[in-house]
Amino acid sequence: MATEVERKTDIGPPHYDQFLHPLIKENYGKWQYHETLAPGVLMHHGPAGDIYTVRVSSPRLVSVNFLNAIMDLADKYSDGYFRFTSRNNVEFLLASKDNIEPLKQEVEALGLLVGGTNNAISNVVHTQGWVHCHSAATDASGLVKSVMDELAEYFTSMKLPAKLRVAVACCLNMCGAVHASDIAILGVHRTPPKIDNETLPNLCEIPTTVASCPNNAIRPTSIEGKATVKVDEEKCMYCGNCYTVCPAMPLADPLNDGVSIWVGGKICNARTEPMFTKLAIPYLPNNPPRWPEVTSAVKKIVEIYAANAKPYERVGEWINRIGWPQFFDMAGIEFTKYHLDDFRHAGTTYRRSLHNRY
Amino acid sequence: MADDLKTPLLDELEQGPWPSFVKDIKSMAGKKEMAKDLLRQLEKSYEDKRGYWKHGGLVGVMGYGGGVIGRYSALPEEFPGVSHFHTMRINQTSGWFYTSEALREITKIWEEHGSGLLNVHGSTGDLVLLGTRTEELEPTFRALTEKGWDLGGSGSDLRTPSCCVGPARCENACFDTLAVNYNLTHQYQDELHRPMFNYKYKIKISGCPNDCTAAIARSDMGIIGIWKDDIQVDSKAMADYVDSGMDVQGLVVENCPTGCIQLDGKEIRIDNSNCVKCMHCINVLPKALSPGKERGAAITLGAKAPIVEGALFGSVIIPFMKIEEPFEEVHDLIERIWEFWDEHGTSRERIGEFIERVSLAAFLEGIGEKPLPQMIKAPRDNPYVFYEEYFAEEGEGE
Amino acid sequence: MAIPVEQLADEMYEIVKESAGVKKLKGGDLTKAMVAKHGDEVSRSDVKAAIRILIDSGRCVYGYFGGSSIELPHTEAAENQ
Ligand code: SF4
Ligand code: SF4
Ligand code: SF4
Ligand code: SF4
Repeated sequence: MATEVERKTDIGPPHYDQFLHPLIKENYGKWQYHETLAPGVLMHHGPAGDIYTVRVSSPRLVSVNFLNAIMDLADKYSDGYFRFTSRNNVEFLLASKDNIEPLKQEVEALGLLVGGTNNAISNVVHTQGWVHCHSAATDASGLVKSVMDELAEYFTSMKLPAKLRVAVACCLNMCGAVHASDIAILGVHRTPPKIDNETLPNLCEIPTTVASCPNNAIRPTSIEGKATVKVDEEKCMYCGNCYTVCPAMPLADPLNDGVSIWVGGKICNARTEPMFTKLAIPYLPNNPPRWPEVTSAVKKIVEIYAANAKPYERVGEWINRIGWPQFFDMAGIEFTKYHLDDFRHAGTTYRRSLHNRY
Repeated sequence: MADDLKTPLLDELEQGPWPSFVKDIKSMAGKKEMAKDLLRQLEKSYEDKRGYWKHGGLVGVMGYGGGVIGRYSALPEEFPGVSHFHTMRINQTSGWFYTSEALREITKIWEEHGSGLLNVHGSTGDLVLLGTRTEELEPTFRALTEKGWDLGGSGSDLRTPSCCVGPARCENACFDTLAVNYNLTHQYQDELHRPMFNYKYKIKISGCPNDCTAAIARSDMGIIGIWKDDIQVDSKAMADYVDSGMDVQGLVVENCPTGCIQLDGKEIRIDNSNCVKCMHCINVLPKALSPGKERGAAITLGAKAPIVEGALFGSVIIPFMKIEEPFEEVHDLIERIWEFWDEHGTSRERIGEFIERVSLAAFLEGIGEKPLPQMIKAPRDNPYVFYEEYFAEEGEGE
Repeated sequence: MAIPVEQLADEMYEIVKESAGVKKLKGGDLTKAMVAKHGDEVSRSDVKAAIRILIDSGRCVYGYFGGSSIELPHTEAAENQ
């Protein structure tokens, strides 16, 4: 008979020390500089010696088979040590320079790409989409796959003016940081929640639901004596806050859900301060499995940026230099009333000077 | 096995140079009904252009209020394999370092107890195990804790803190990001597992202003490395850059946001009193330049995505503090912040929205910090000041 | 004199029971209710410990709809809907 082992809680993650390559431990906190030897290949120099990093693409949504294959390669080439980046790339940490080429070949044989360093498009951070989330206005994994199939050459090379960060989120909850990416692809609903008056009274607290709406669009009401809510459609901006607290108010609408494109955000402090992404294209249709309208729009933006920005200029810095009118012109994007902010502090985005380009 | 699996739309996503998530899910479909029905349901989503998941359910492991996201198919009869498809978030290691030995234990457990599918990693940083049934949650949890792994957060609690690679493989790190990340994750296990906050609280830790974890945009609390003294210059390496023919003037000097760099032949002169620590020159000339010696971190508060009141970047609350073992000053600050937010925040109010509502001045007073000019871009430009001190007529004062 | 943690747990259980189906209570709501009732005789950490007693004993469970709450045990809501 198996003896019951004591149930453990609150043990937290294991100590990172045991996962650091011995060479990393010796150089810990003493690194002097790094060099990029080739796209996806870095050398970090420290007093105890150099460590070589090979950065590899990953779809992020993976199987144990994928990880097992990665770990087999780690055992073979990097003494079993590897890590993941904040953008979900895999990084092998090699003590021997001679292992770089054979590892690259095996990685490529697995159908993975080596790259994502310096002036490249790194992996796309993204969310769950139709694979796993109730809120999604589009799929995330499919969009990423479709877009990166088109842009793979920018992952495996370093020919862009600066690094370019792409992110995908499948609804306004934005589980990924799309609000500060060079290019963001954001799933949008375009119609108000569809209230299920049958289940709402059982599933949702009316005051909480009413309070959840940032635009005060929700009012308590009663239908045939049953308490429920109604939505003032004029005021609804399809943000999905109500749905988060009340499952009886879904927003999914196959006819109208789709994708918007945002540009010019940035996180790192280099040269200019962090910036939010701004709306470029208010709506493109959901067209799975390949979203051709989205991929071609994103590709166009990447190409005009690549052709026109100065070295080290991020997308937002480039647009600030040339001005938004010229950006819309070059990108061939129609400027519409949807581009004018009408939420809190909207006025701060209006032109309040005569600094315009004609 | 795959013969009864018809997914013509998804099959198209097996083509092309970028690695395919469809291939990966398919690789599990032979073994797991769950993976197979996930593909079938996703194919239907691709046909119908809508998701088929129900709003999250209320499941978890005993005693914890976070770490498990309940998920049920809206079409359980059609796709019984995903009638339950819960997610478990696992605390990742500091800096996302692993050995194959350790991670193999997790893949083994997950192949036994779940779908065999995962996200490496989730947006917050956790290792995300995607898809299992309610009755498997507790056995999976036991198997994981047996091997030394624990669940992350979800709901109104502290989420698993995450940090950049820092001193483990980056010359720019201004403090030990991995150590403080590990320390905070352990120090606040209770806050991680038992939601007591008004809403979620994310901590991200970056070793320098390059901010590789996006702390300024994605964390309620960012700990971002910074230095106070002069940028360190290796003049020999600097001369080598110039000798190599690199356009230091165009690429570095002219890109400095405050114009505080001068190139004098092969020598670089930096007016450090005007340097805003943006990292540009150090990024371009890594062999010649590095952050100064008086290092620590700035603390930012309040970043978040748009829900509910619009997106916010973090704002600087502590312009500089030392980040040193045993990190008691960091704990003290975190606890002062939580206490004030607990007491005065409202339901679903993130710390950033809270500070905007009560005002930065009231917030600073509440946590016992003094206002400093480094906390703002500019002083107020409206005259509606709430004066608290004024003179009373003589004889009438207290 | 400090209120025993078990007593706090019992009192909070009653509050949770009363508001079941009316309002989902958060940990913070329960803390505030206890502080309002007992003033300085309860500390936040006592309330936390008491909530842990309620959860670990299975008398209450955590719930989640947009925010975390402390509720009476229930069957898997989404599944049975
Ligand atoms: S962004 Fe929205 S739809 Fe996508 S995973 Fe997050 S909450 Fe779900
Ligand atoms: S979708 Fe947003 S704006 Fe519309 S009713 Fe719901 S909470 Fe209000
Ligand atoms: S944030 Fe700075 S210290 Fe951390 S990895 Fe990035 S560059 Fe290095
Ligand atoms: S860090 Fe930035 S501000 Fe400071 S000297 Fe270098 S480029 Fe100029």
